[in-house]
Amino acid sequence: MIGWGLLAAVLGLWQLVATRPEHPEFVLSPVEIGVHFAAALRSGELLPHVGASLLRSLPGFVLGSAIGVILGLLAGVARSLDQMLSPVVFLTYPVPKIVFLPIVMLWIGIGDASKIVIIALACFYPCFVNAYYGARSTPRIMVWASLNMGARRSQVFGKIVVPSALPLVFAGLRVSLALSFILLFSTEMINARSGLGFLIRQAESSLRFDLMYVSIVAVAALGYASDQLLLLARRRVLAWQAATTR
Amino acid sequence: MTRSLVMGVLRRLSLVLAGLTVWELVARSGMFSPIIVPSLARIGRELWFLATSAGSLVEVWQSLFRGLSGLALASVVGVTLGVVMGRSAVAAAFLSPMFSGTYPIPKIALFPIFIYLFGIGSLAKVVLVFLECLYPIVVTTHAGSRAVNRVLLWSAANMGASRGRILARVVVPAAAPFIFAGFRIALPIAMVVVIITEMISSADGLGYLVMYSLASFKTDRMLAAVVVISLLGLALDRLMVALRDRLVFWERLDSYYAE
Repeated sequence: MIGWGLLAAVLGLWQLVATRPEHPEFVLSPVEIGVHFAAALRSGELLPHVGASLLRSLPGFVLGSAIGVILGLLAGVARSLDQMLSPVVFLTYPVPKIVFLPIVMLWIGIGDASKIVIIALACFYPCFVNAYYGARSTPRIMVWASLNMGARRSQVFGKIVVPSALPLVFAGLRVSLALSFILLFSTEMINARSGLGFLIRQAESSLRFDLMYVSIVAVAALGYASDQLLLLARRRVLAWQAATTR
Repeated sequence: MTRSLVMGVLRRLSLVLAGLTVWELVARSGMFSPIIVPSLARIGRELWFLATSAGSLVEVWQSLFRGLSGLALASVVGVTLGVVMGRSAVAAAFLSPMFSGTYPIPKIALFPIFIYLFGIGSLAKVVLVFLECLYPIVVTTHAGSRAVNRVLLWSAANMGASRGRILARVVVPAAAPFIFAGFRIALPIAMVVVIITEMISSADGLGYLVMYSLASFKTDRMLAAVVVISLLGLALDRLMVALRDRLVFWERLDSYYAE
């Protein structure tokens, strides 16, 4: 409650500063931004770019995190795969993946495919690392018990390893989701002809501050909404886990 | 014994070696122009050029300076905020919704506003690095300072330590493993943000070097810059781990890089 009060106070202060006569041109008040936002929604200036952005970030996120989770879980249980894959992944983990954008652009063009590949690459890492540790931290007693009761290896994997890795997998997914948006907007700011990152840059360079703020608000809303969706999915899937959410 | 050791090392390096071999074979086959796939020898030559020319060292320094100063600011502010939020219910009630509400919002979208506010020089980039790094540090420090063993707090208070002294001598050391976990998350973020902002708008730094080399079709130099950035990210991470093991000597890092 107090927190929302603070947020309201900040917005109120902003409104006051932005309505003073001597404020700089690039500061818009929250009310003005809201009005512009509604107008942009109605005029269809915004929605095509939102669609273009989502068509890049979602495939990248799904592809990268799916491969990351699957390989991470497998590397967590299979020693030969672990020895082959993990050193490379952990060694390249702190490398900023965005630097590969120019190379990928050279190879497969400057269109959507290169952006999707870079987003998938960035999303792969947190998912792999978390799934790997999730699989490795499976309680051994459960594995022994199920083997003892005659479970096959595939059953142990599906019924013991995967469920006990799930909380960490979701932690990885959440990091990847945030990363996918960062990468999306940076690739779009570097080169694109559509999308919210492009819209922000274009509005900025043509001094259309209203459009700039509108697209920033859209970016924020998109990031917030997708995070909430993921948390909702986690609550559904992990309903059995005692509430240690957030 | 030695044979299995050699085999183990070989297996660990197998993917890297295979990748490099395929790269060199493709580069030498003549299927692609050397602009698209330059050979390892040419990348090596450019790497040597980057390492020996003063101008490129300045670019490295620019990127390092921006990333590390943003990270340093974020660690000072983030640890302070996190500890205060962890130890005071009022501060947590004020600040926690602010942080959890704005956490999933990509701060990079604010970069154009920062350019207007702080200019196109280093300041806008440092501020963005600060903002992006602040979140993981605050979140982990907050969690760490809430999880301090109560017995330690009680005994310190019992022996007459003041509130500030308890924070500095008990809470911060006890939360140190968490704090370093936050630093370790924030460090690659700092590098990413620096490189991204330099690629978007800059006239110096490693990100600029990548975009400039690409625009002038010097792919070998671009890849050499990519190698430098990767090595830098790796070296900084190892440095952070070494620092952590030095300062938090009583608790070992779980086998993150054990092998």
